[in-house]
Amino acid sequence: MATETDAHESGGSFPPFDQIDTFPSQIFWLAITFGLLYFVMAYVFLPKVRKSLEDRDTTITGSIEEAAALSKQADEAVTAFESDIAKARAAARDTASKAKAEADARIAEQTARVEAELAAKLEKAEAEIAEVRAKAMAGVGEVASDAAAAIVEKLTGAPADQAAVKSAVSNAMGGR
Amino acid sequence: MMVAADPMHQFHISRLIPFEIGGWDLSFTNSSLWMVIGVLFVIGFFAFATSKMDTIPSRLQSLAEIWYGFIDGMVRDVNHDDGKPFVPLVFTLFSFVFVANLFGMFSLPLPGAHTFTPTSHVAVTGALALFTIGVVIVVGLWKNGFKFFKIFVPSGVPGYILWFVMLIEIFSFLSRPISLGMRLFANMLGGHVALKVFAGFIPSLAAGLGGLGMLMGGLLVMPMVVGITALEFLVAFLQAYVFAILTCVYLNDALHPGH
Repeated sequence: MATETDAHESGGSFPPFDQIDTFPSQIFWLAITFGLLYFVMAYVFLPKVRKSLEDRDTTITGSIEEAAALSKQADEAVTAFESDIAKARAAARDTASKAKAEADARIAEQTARVEAELAAKLEKAEAEIAEVRAKAMAGVGEVASDAAAAIVEKLTGAPADQAAVKSAVSNAMGGR
Repeated sequence: MMVAADPMHQFHISRLIPFEIGGWDLSFTNSSLWMVIGVLFVIGFFAFATSKMDTIPSRLQSLAEIWYGFIDGMVRDVNHDDGKPFVPLVFTLFSFVFVANLFGMFSLPLPGAHTFTPTSHVAVTGALALFTIGVVIVVGLWKNGFKFFKIFVPSGVPGYILWFVMLIEIFSFLSRPISLGMRLFANMLGGHVALKVFAGFIPSLAAGLGGLGMLMGGLLVMPMVVGITALEFLVAFLQAYVFAILTCVYLNDALHPGH
């Protein structure tokens, strides 16, 4: 070992080409180490790394799909909720308008009844007034003829002719 | 002193455990040692990083996934889905070359011990390149049979210059293993030599010019050595990347001949 090394260290040598006697050893050990690296990598570690990368890909794609599904679900829930609200609103409006119509009808009915009652009372009252007035008018003629007879008696000093007074009063009142 | 300053000394292969099998000298050398260390480092790293796989990765698991994803993406870009079976091969080529390049960059705090760059020798890079091209040819013939030879016959070339284009194509195909191996070897060798020469310049200056030399070495040469070291780390990665992506490109020829 030492003798060979010395021969090449004397300067001016070019080991990569000079040491041709080491070529078989270099190629032999290259084959062993390269082969070892190839088989260990190809059959043990690279599949492991590849599997890890693929697993990550599937995990990520799966998560994205899951997220998309959940988001779609959420959208559907929002749509359903909105339609529910719209329905409820329509129902509320219906109820309100029905109630209003009922109330209106009842108000109109009561108004009509009360008006009819009032009209009846008014008629009755007017009839009473007319009767009272007629009676009063009849009384007025008597009072007037009495007053006229008394006036004539006072002026003339003689009792007045009842029938003439009556016809004169009745003439003055226009036959009323 | 002279031995330490010799820029070629770092590429010297010394036999640590000499032995022969059938007349072949297959000694365990420092080159073998650093190949073993590099490979065990990659295996150890992945064993540790993938020991507890989780959907939300730890830092080491992330690093292992980035490492794998880098190669997987490269193969996917060049070879599309057909390249899937070759991911482990390209991964091994890249990782092996990368750690072999990288570990030669470090120095050891032990006297007399130094790291070694297995990829700074043509035997290793040449064997890797021939192996790669061999895989390309085998895959090409296995997948396409004789249609594989269509890679030498580009479509749409007029008949009268086709023979010439075919000649160029064959020549370019044959030069692939040479360029693939030589590029890696020369980059690692050249870079390390440059680093050693510039670094060795500092003590030489100090020895020759005394204090002035030390000042010059420290102020002028040292920053350059730091810069080249950073560049060498980049090259260590880049050459592994180039080797891997060229493997993908050549494999693509084998998978889809007739471009």
